[in-house]
Amino acid sequence: MKKFLLISTMLGAAAFSMPAAAETLRIGLATAQSGGLAGYDSPVVEGFHIAVDEINTAGGIGGNVMIELIEKDVRSDAAQTSIAAQELVDEGVSVLILPCDADPALAAIGIVSSAEIPAISTCASSPTLPMIGGEYMFANFPGDNVQATVSASWAYEQGHTSAYIVYSPDTQYTTMPLYFSEVFEKLGGTILGQDTHSIGQQDFSAIATRIAALSPQPDVIMTSSYEPDFPSMLKALRAAGVTSQVIGSDGIDSPTTFSLGDVGEGVVFTTAGHATEGSPLAAFNAKYEQITGNPSETVFNAVGYDLVKVLEAAVIAAGGSTDPKELRDAIANLENVQGATSLITYKGTDGMPVREVTLIRVKDGARELVGQPSPDASLIPAPRMQ
Amino acid sequence: MDLFLQQTVNAFALGGTYALLALGLAVVFSIMGLINFAHGELMTIAGYVLMYCGLAGLPFLLSVPLAISASMVAAVLMERIAFRPVRNSSGATMLVTSFAVAMILQVLFQNLISTRSQPVLLPQLLSDSVTIGGLVIGVNKIAAIVSTLVMLVVLDRFMKHQKTGIAMRAAAEDFGVARLMGIRANTVIAGAFALSGLLAGVAAVLWVSQRASVDPLMGFMPVLKAFIAAILGGLGSLRGAVAGGFLLGFIEIYLAAFLPHEFQEFREPIGLGIVVLVLLFRPNGLIPSAALKAIKV
Repeated sequence: MKKFLLISTMLGAAAFSMPAAAETLRIGLATAQSGGLAGYDSPVVEGFHIAVDEINTAGGIGGNVMIELIEKDVRSDAAQTSIAAQELVDEGVSVLILPCDADPALAAIGIVSSAEIPAISTCASSPTLPMIGGEYMFANFPGDNVQATVSASWAYEQGHTSAYIVYSPDTQYTTMPLYFSEVFEKLGGTILGQDTHSIGQQDFSAIATRIAALSPQPDVIMTSSYEPDFPSMLKALRAAGVTSQVIGSDGIDSPTTFSLGDVGEGVVFTTAGHATEGSPLAAFNAKYEQITGNPSETVFNAVGYDLVKVLEAAVIAAGGSTDPKELRDAIANLENVQGATSLITYKGTDGMPVREVTLIRVKDGARELVGQPSPDASLIPAPRMQ
Repeated sequence: MDLFLQQTVNAFALGGTYALLALGLAVVFSIMGLINFAHGELMTIAGYVLMYCGLAGLPFLLSVPLAISASMVAAVLMERIAFRPVRNSSGATMLVTSFAVAMILQVLFQNLISTRSQPVLLPQLLSDSVTIGGLVIGVNKIAAIVSTLVMLVVLDRFMKHQKTGIAMRAAAEDFGVARLMGIRANTVIAGAFALSGLLAGVAAVLWVSQRASVDPLMGFMPVLKAFIAAILGGLGSLRGAVAGGFLLGFIEIYLAAFLPHEFQEFREPIGLGIVVLVLLFRPNGLIPSAALKAIKV
């Protein structure tokens, strides 16, 4: 009897410690619902919920695997991210969703790799994330180096031959202009100079004055700074009399950029997608408006929907399994998953997906599609640690 | 030379904003001994009022006084609700209370308004610039310099000639004796908070007109700068706060403008290093508070 008890207890414990029952995919979300990154993570999670509800209403992934979410707010804090990731691992999730920026996401690396659970950052675009994060870390956004290749190639094709970059060494993402200058020089353009700023810096007048004093003026000014830095920088540049083409990146895909009036006109930036008529993104935006009652203000809603589509495809590819290791292998081999913004491929990459990059121009306070060019693979710079 | 003058104008504009912020902290500190870290949230409140006024289609000239009044009302309420009950407690208690007020307000903004930053509609004029004697000066820079000067003159006259102002100065020097002379503590302290709200409101309009958006955590950075400026100028001294604000603005702009490129990354530590250096020679700040007497603290 004793033996029976022991064995049954052990079996019970073993069954209990299994990540999840076969019919439920437990997803742990450790995302920033407050703090500096909330502006990105909260719209992503909104889109995430729309996709999860849609799948669960239809009977689950493949008709039988229901999705269960466990959500924690990491307050845009690196330490809190690793605490939340550990708690979620302890609760037996099969997949972890980490915050938008590479830096807090990296804080969870140790936990992710020792627990051997696949982790995907909501929208971090730094190609160094999966590189440092190892085989269990994935991203869900076009890489910084790819975005910079697209914008530098576009600028060069427009006949712009000189550029100035303004970047911040504070995070991986805000160093994207360094990739830009690498590609721009490779194409034959010249970089007239560079400036650094810190995130949250209020005043850009010193930098703007320095750029205004250059002769000749740079054709292009490239930055990957985001709110509140980007509007301040742009206003300072224009007030100092600088009229160069300003190029930004996905971080400024937000309502503020489109409400700057004349100052914002003509700004071009790279992002994850554009809702052309009949596109999956247009369909998603319609769905979003129907569910929430408000139009989607940023592509990050759709990026959250993409994330669930990737997980859905991975579960199906793993034959309905929710085992973390099988899911990791399935994600790493996904090809051409149709998301709301683009086709998404992980196969052949180190975890930084191949996705479409869209160039948008601010025109009359609205989006204008500039193009969705495929970057020349030989131009894409290697990921670098800043 | 032109470049130098241009950067000096930039430094005046930024220093002026810092001076207003530091003055807001100093007004309250000089009387209560409280460093109000929720001062930044007063700015956020003014910012949100600007945002809602923009959404409601009010003209900017009307939104500005509304935003400033909202920040004043909020400051007085803050005193009545949070700080009056701990008025005679230790400095640490009041400091922690101010942190608590700041955090509670941030969470309220996040939950009741939005975690995302909200665009603020600004008149085009604020993004324009004018050329004066070969210098290109942004309208918002001129607005910053002019409103700082107006505020400083008004404040100076208020402190020197108005009864409440004189009472506040007396209270700043020795609150106990001032009360014995028949000055009502509640009036003086509420007045100080209203004044700090006014300063926060004006600074918020200048701050928001540069960044064009408002988010729940917006107040943190300005209050941090104001704190540095107030310490640099001499905590508790109003003239010191103004001097500290301007000096901090000049340090930041000149470093950003003239530090060689290789050192730009270390701009902030170098700037703070200069602040520390000044404090080594003048431990009580540039213009120490009279209440400190000659004692080094």
